[in-house]
Amino acid sequence: MKDKILQTLRDLRAYALSKNVEVEFFYHEEDSYLMRFANSAISLNTNEHLIRLDITAYEDRKRASYSLITDLQKLEEMKQGVDIAAEMVKHAMPLSYQPTVPTFAESFADESAFDSTLAIISNEERLAYFNEAVKGLETDDIKLSGIFSCGSNVVAQINTHSEHTQYFKTSDAQVSIVLSHSTLKWEVIAEQSAQKKADLDPSALYRDLSFLLDRYQHDAPQQIPLGKYNIVFGPAASGDLLNMMNWIGFSGGSMKRGFSFISEDQVGTKVFSDKFNLTDDATNLDTFPFQRDLTGMKRTKFPIFENGVFKSFTWDQDDADEFEAKPTGHTVMHKSLVLGGGEKNVSTLEELVNLPRENDILYIPFLHYMNIVNPSKGLVTASSRFGALLLKKDGSVVVPYNVRVTQSLLDIFGDKVAWMSKSQTINNTSQSYGARNPTAIIVPTFIKVDDLEISHSNSSY
Amino acid sequence: MQKQLQEQIERLKKAGATYVDVRWYPVEESNYLMMWNGNLKSATSSRESGVGIRALYKGAWGFSASSDVSNVGALFDKAFDNARVAAERVTFPVRLAEKESVRASFVSPNRIDPFAVALADKISFLKKLDEKMDQPGVAQRVGELIFMRKQIIYIDSEGSEIEKNLIEVFPSIQVMGVDAKGESHSRKFSPSRMGDTRGWETVNLQMFTENAERIVREMNEVLVAEECPKEDRSVILLPGIMYLQTHETIGHALELDRILGYELGFAGGSFVTLNDFGSLRYGSTKLTARADATLPNSPGSFGYDDDGVAAQDNLLIDKGILVGAITGRQMVEEANARARKQIFNGSGGANRATAFYRVPIERMTNINIDPGNDGSLDDIVKNTEKGIILDGDKSWSIGSNREQFHFATDIGWLVDNGQVTRVVKNSTYKGETVKFYNSLSAVGDKSTWEVRYVDNCGKGQPNQIMQLGHGIPVCRFDNVRIGE
Repeated sequence: MKDKILQTLRDLRAYALSKNVEVEFFYHEEDSYLMRFANSAISLNTNEHLIRLDITAYEDRKRASYSLITDLQKLEEMKQGVDIAAEMVKHAMPLSYQPTVPTFAESFADESAFDSTLAIISNEERLAYFNEAVKGLETDDIKLSGIFSCGSNVVAQINTHSEHTQYFKTSDAQVSIVLSHSTLKWEVIAEQSAQKKADLDPSALYRDLSFLLDRYQHDAPQQIPLGKYNIVFGPAASGDLLNMMNWIGFSGGSMKRGFSFISEDQVGTKVFSDKFNLTDDATNLDTFPFQRDLTGMKRTKFPIFENGVFKSFTWDQDDADEFEAKPTGHTVMHKSLVLGGGEKNVSTLEELVNLPRENDILYIPFLHYMNIVNPSKGLVTASSRFGALLLKKDGSVVVPYNVRVTQSLLDIFGDKVAWMSKSQTINNTSQSYGARNPTAIIVPTFIKVDDLEISHSNSSY
Repeated sequence: MQKQLQEQIERLKKAGATYVDVRWYPVEESNYLMMWNGNLKSATSSRESGVGIRALYKGAWGFSASSDVSNVGALFDKAFDNARVAAERVTFPVRLAEKESVRASFVSPNRIDPFAVALADKISFLKKLDEKMDQPGVAQRVGELIFMRKQIIYIDSEGSEIEKNLIEVFPSIQVMGVDAKGESHSRKFSPSRMGDTRGWETVNLQMFTENAERIVREMNEVLVAEECPKEDRSVILLPGIMYLQTHETIGHALELDRILGYELGFAGGSFVTLNDFGSLRYGSTKLTARADATLPNSPGSFGYDDDGVAAQDNLLIDKGILVGAITGRQMVEEANARARKQIFNGSGGANRATAFYRVPIERMTNINIDPGNDGSLDDIVKNTEKGIILDGDKSWSIGSNREQFHFATDIGWLVDNGQVTRVVKNSTYKGETVKFYNSLSAVGDKSTWEVRYVDNCGKGQPNQIMQLGHGIPVCRFDNVRIGE
């Protein structure tokens, strides 16, 4: 199949050259499977096999794109797409800068993050996984929800500047299991990310869900008072916060457009806690990495923060062209963010609960519906969800109703960070908008931040 | 093609499927243009086609989709096989509410097909607006044009065959500036419904020019304004934020699949329970809300949903009391059975999919609030002792059961003793849904009522982006916390 894909791209390139058009081709193929559960049943079992082709035509400083969902048998349709893009670009308006069309110096293919056994996992195997992960945990009142999303993903490129191609193939699975009470409305979650079939371990989810259920089934939830708390964020919460930082923090384009809380003069200065070490690590297969970016730049480890010191903005090619910056190999569908682990020896929720503590700790595993209140301040807001716990200093554990956190990322990851766990967790942050794009962020399993304000506390679910 | 699809439907029926439907998109096109600070950053067109097949077997759904229609038989087999496996885990076998089988068509009202308009004309429109917005104080200026066209042919095993041809147009402009503290602030404009059609004719340069001048002026006022105070005030929500308040805390909260727990794994649930219908005081007596897919000329009006059910106008909240939900054929049957009473009389015709490769789910149509009797905006302001007028959807975050929310707006105007006193920046408000709607103390009349379009409502897994509308008046709510 790889040969056929690349040959099709070469054929299209030849066609574009014959028409004297400067063109980039971006091919995306997904074979996606989703088994979705709700109310303890399979509510949806679906698959899609889709091939998308983006054709971007250039004429000096002008640029226009045409995209189509197609299949490899439809070469003529794709050639028509070249004609349409070529016609569009004639009427486009010149940019104020010269857009770069990369010249691939060599062909590159990376299938290191592809596992064929994960890509073809069967309906029956996915159902068996779920059944094992929740064995004995469902009741008439406690219902199962969640997804087993898996598939394979191919990205391939060519352009008229060179005959060389780029080809990336990955496999991925994202599992999310929610148990919720149908009348009391509490809900707990366990999640797993897999790049290869061997990563799938339903027993780990069973362990987490069992522990949380034990608390939620037996303890009445409470509305906790507003005020400042020492908060431990779980991996999903931390991953979401870092995703937001990726957007309004260290992206060079966002900064130049006034949509960032970090300024140019902060490069080389301390912005966050000295415990904060954030890297874009394309060598980590668990992040479904691009080891070359889409302009052909080699990607390895790119430090963004070291001991809290801001090292560099990330620049994709188009933003770099526009703002006369040097591209940093970040013309990618997603980065491979890894937040380094700390010193604290705690790797499971049970260990966290059993840690000796001098003050109450509010554990927030998940932040729901995060949004940006003020990008210039890094101010975000979100509500807790899925199994928060208030760990009292006397050793007892309280189940709280959900709370709202409205805080600046500067505070959350600043000097208020008390510790980060040594252990790390793969937080699968894939979204299912548009084309499949498996994405994961590696984070410390737990991050403790002191003195964060709760701005709202629910009186019910 | 239709004949081939019908033959495959019959084949699956003979194999044991109790229901089958297919949506064939012969063509779906989009065109997106975005100009940022004078640069045409995006000039993109797209085209796709394909089929999506939904099969019901032993009370479970299977779905399959592909752009490759050279072997549709295999796609039907895949959908059936997916249903067969799903049938191994069924707790409430899917039943579909009865409906009328129809052969029908629907065409969205457009006078000038935007896909027939030259690219140069579209760029020229953006360029003129960009020049208009290029004023002192403006650091960033953005103009966007989104055009969509879908041809959908729906066929089901109950004898329905429906063709829909939909065209949508979503233009918008935005300016951003930076204040003395280095904080960015923005103001934007997208038009509400104009007239009876929504083709290229609605991309009106004169109207956009006037609004470009207005948003630049208002943004510059925000740049030098004081901070929004942290206190309790009456909030007067203009349509530019009231549409989103309605969307997030009435619309999503009343999707029946959310109420029944079908979105708990991702988007969340609802604080509403089946016991609440007919009794929950959702809001004050001034609140009457409806799901109206018959409203002329809105993306939330589509003729027939993807269950093949005709568009309807259904009350959701009647003088403050919860009476209805946003429903499709499957969920009403399950809700009635679970409640052991007839809450819903058939599907509300709100089951829609965003593309051929997505499965239909309950989606908002036009979720509207009826205009009230409290006069114009001026009248409401005159009768407000201590308030703030809010507009512009800067940020929104809602609890997982839609029970509470936090919104930030682009601009706020303080109101004291019936007078607008000054502009404030970083205006926010928050609240608890039921308490908030019960504090509804004024609803503007028809002069304040607008239909706002939404082009990007997200829901479901795999995620689906849907287009819809909200007809809303100016509304005032009392004792609301602002500035946090």
